[in-house]
Amino acid sequence: MTEQNVPRVGLVFFPAFDWAIGPDHPERQERLLYTRDQIQEEGLFDHPAIREYRPRLARDEEILRTHIVLPSLEEKITESHRIAAGGTIAAADLVLDGLVKRAFALLRPPGHHGNRVVHGSRGFCVLNNEAIMVDHLRARLGANLRVAIVDTDAHHADGTQDVFYNDPGILHISLHQDGRTLYPGTGFTSERGGPGAYGQTVNIPLPPGTGDQGMLLVMERVVLPILKEWEPDFVINAAGQDNHFSDPITNMRFSAQGYAQLTELLAPDLVVLEGGYSIESALPYINVGLLLALAGLDYSRVKEPQGLRAQDRQSAAVTDQVKRVCDEVGELWQQRSEADLEQIFGSADFFQRQRQIYYDTDNIYESQQEYIRLCGDCSGWRMMYTRSSRAREPVAIVLTPWICCTRCQTEARRQYQEVSEDSTFAQAIWQDPASNSYRSRGAVHR
Amino acid sequence: MYVIGIDVGGTNTDAALLFGDQVRAVAKVPTNHQDLFQSTTQALREILAHYHRSDPIRLHLSTTLSTNVIVEGRGTPTVAVVVPGPGVNLGSLAFPFPIYELDGYIDHRGREVSPLRMEQVASLKDVLQEMQGYALAVVGKFSGRNPSQEQALSEELAKWHRGVISLGSRLSGRANFPRRIVTTCLNASVAKHHLDFVDMLQTAITDPISELLLLKADGGTMTLHDSVQRPIETILSGPAASIMGAQALTQCKAKNYLIVDIGGTTTDLAAVVEGEVLFERDGATIAGYKTLVPAVLTRSIGLGGDSELAYQKGTGIVIGPKRAGNPLCLGGDRLTTTDAAVALGLAKLGSEEAARQGFLRWGQALGLQWDVLAQQVIEAFTTRLVQAVESFYHELETMPLYTVREVLHPPELKPGAVVGLGAPAPVFVPALGEALGLPWEVVPFSSGANAIGAASARATVGITLQADTELGIVTIPEMGYQGEIHRPLFFDLAKARQLAEEKTREYARSLGYDGSSEIYVVEEESFQMVRGFRTVGQTHMVRAQLRPEARRIKGES
Repeated sequence: MTEQNVPRVGLVFFPAFDWAIGPDHPERQERLLYTRDQIQEEGLFDHPAIREYRPRLARDEEILRTHIVLPSLEEKITESHRIAAGGTIAAADLVLDGLVKRAFALLRPPGHHGNRVVHGSRGFCVLNNEAIMVDHLRARLGANLRVAIVDTDAHHADGTQDVFYNDPGILHISLHQDGRTLYPGTGFTSERGGPGAYGQTVNIPLPPGTGDQGMLLVMERVVLPILKEWEPDFVINAAGQDNHFSDPITNMRFSAQGYAQLTELLAPDLVVLEGGYSIESALPYINVGLLLALAGLDYSRVKEPQGLRAQDRQSAAVTDQVKRVCDEVGELWQQRSEADLEQIFGSADFFQRQRQIYYDTDNIYESQQEYIRLCGDCSGWRMMYTRSSRAREPVAIVLTPWICCTRCQTEARRQYQEVSEDSTFAQAIWQDPASNSYRSRGAVHR
Repeated sequence: MYVIGIDVGGTNTDAALLFGDQVRAVAKVPTNHQDLFQSTTQALREILAHYHRSDPIRLHLSTTLSTNVIVEGRGTPTVAVVVPGPGVNLGSLAFPFPIYELDGYIDHRGREVSPLRMEQVASLKDVLQEMQGYALAVVGKFSGRNPSQEQALSEELAKWHRGVISLGSRLSGRANFPRRIVTTCLNASVAKHHLDFVDMLQTAITDPISELLLLKADGGTMTLHDSVQRPIETILSGPAASIMGAQALTQCKAKNYLIVDIGGTTTDLAAVVEGEVLFERDGATIAGYKTLVPAVLTRSIGLGGDSELAYQKGTGIVIGPKRAGNPLCLGGDRLTTTDAAVALGLAKLGSEEAARQGFLRWGQALGLQWDVLAQQVIEAFTTRLVQAVESFYHELETMPLYTVREVLHPPELKPGAVVGLGAPAPVFVPALGEALGLPWEVVPFSSGANAIGAASARATVGITLQADTELGIVTIPEMGYQGEIHRPLFFDLAKARQLAEEKTREYARSLGYDGSSEIYVVEEESFQMVRGFRTVGQTHMVRAQLRPEARRIKGES
């Protein structure tokens, strides 16, 4: 196959027409029906620049490189989650194998609220599809890979942030509606990453009422300059579509044109669908625009049937607020290397944090304690203790980073030895993604 | 009943006479490309020479008329008048027809978002007045969900346009606006040629021929009356006829099998899955045009009995893709794959000596034994065929899957047997079967199977029913039908299916088919529509058609 013959966009479309969280739930069979209809009628499934591919099931080891699923994979993961994660991996492989230039995993269920530790479903998400994809990229190309994730869902990508917050190989930028006004209530500029990757978590909280104008301002003033400076090997767009003016559960005012422009500016290698629940008035048009923009085709005629009303356009006050956010985020980025890490994370051997996490979709509470080894040679091994309102017995987790110094390796192994012999823990889990090793003592495997 | 099948091919026109499940006679005449009607009637005369009764006969004709008109670019100049609404810029798609875009907009649910502006049609008249003898194609985006704008537009155009007007929604209920534009334009452009041909054909309907049906790309038949509206469906009926022939003649008991039709220039592959031949997902591609014409899925490779041979250092034997002409054994002047089989005694055809001499000369030039060289040709042919089969099934296995159930249990497509036809099949199909590790069979009447396939074909006529209970509307684009749903709350998928069956029957009868045969549902889907945590309705899609009964033909005549 010659270079010219490579389709520009590989599309892994998986609408999961037979799966729903509940019959009336936004994550239901119907969600991508109208998107399918629109793409089909526009002839994009067989446009020469676009080729459609099948998803596949993600294998255990592909999931367990990224997640710790409790009490077990079998109990928490449905086949649809495996297909969404596997479809995302399949999209990455299309690009890695040179079959296409870019790929779009247009599939459900979504994933960006999925944390590293999974006790259940949060914000309609269980497995974090793009996080699993990133670790797949590293498994194929090496631990040194630099990957930037730009999450443009209206909700803060707290799950992706959680998975990578101490990961020096990842730059995570999340644009979202201000957490004070929307689920999950996080994603403030002050959340900047752990001791091993400080400054590489970039949150851009936008005021309700932000439209295309504000979003494009953020792209030009903040996102693109940061990407240019950081020089990632891959740019991934976690493409939530709920910033749309017609979305029923958010308060933003993006249009299909805005999304297409965003895509053109960002020029991502890989795109993964996240949320977006205006299934008739927004998704069909956003996805057509996004596909056209990804393929470098003319998207100027893509328009929603009910255009944005004049009174719903971004107000001057919102524009000012967006500018202030841009300035703040830009400054924080510039100053990231000057930050005094000792002052932020302490000077002890370990940085410690304690969290309560609520799984809204499944109504589960998790309490988590985490220790990160403050190490000058790598981002540090980690120790986590977690328990949930469903599984009250604590679980101990020992994690090593993708690039791990020998001392951290030794210490982590010793720690795992210790916790695996300790009967207070229902399970003791060892996760070392670089050598693709995942072990568990006491797991209930059925 | 007696049925005659005629398949007009690139080289020969084949004819077969069937009585029930028996083949009574076959005949073959060279195709006259200057005058297809002449060679067609000659084939008919030759086959009728075997018929000594007075019972009426039905004639099934697979003709290349529309195919040739399209491939040779001889169609009536056609102008597309389209209602695209917002979306993909049609200007970026490079259609080979002039396209005039008009205002208007139907959305994915079939709701009219903005109306037509008839004054635009009036100004179109001024633009088109310059042209002479052109045809019009009228196509709207989502016209399959609501054909009313297309219909209104064509009525307006018909007030002054004297030539053909084809409507996109009538030709296909499938979603794909660019393909619908192409299909409709091609349909309009071949309509005049087809009509002239039909006029001639009608003169052929004299005793004992009582009825004449045309073959379609999906391997089914259509009435002349029906074909006048949708001549585009007669394209590519030749390959379909061969595949139908293989299905009719095979003794194969496997549910899945591969059909290999080895011809002079090309080899066609088709797949049978669960007893049914696979169809193109969207429609046929002809001369690079992607259409919505329902078609048997075939893949063609440039490998045949008359393929030219070459020897490349390092690679060895290279076969095709060009045709060398007649084989040496039949008096040709260049070596072909057929000569290799004849020289080795694997096939009896013409002069074995001529074939052997050919390989002797070539062998001397290359410093190789003649029989080693001929054997290498056979092996190279088989290797290419195996590769083509593997990539064919690989392509089939990338067909998208949209449900969890399908991903967990993907349809098993892999063949359990190989069924071969075409003159070179007895030489290559056994080796292919062996290489694939599958049982194989070469159907009887290998070289006339296409005509037998044409004769054994049945009518296929179908509709696409789209029901939206929230809007309370049922749409069947092929029939130009839109009706109200009287009790939307009770209109479930079963009701939609029942209505689809009734309407298919009604449609079939209106087109002159026997509406009493079984109707079957080709495809269906159904979704709950929820708005704001409340179910507001359901949407059902049912694609139904007359069941083309698989007819088995006995091998012995």
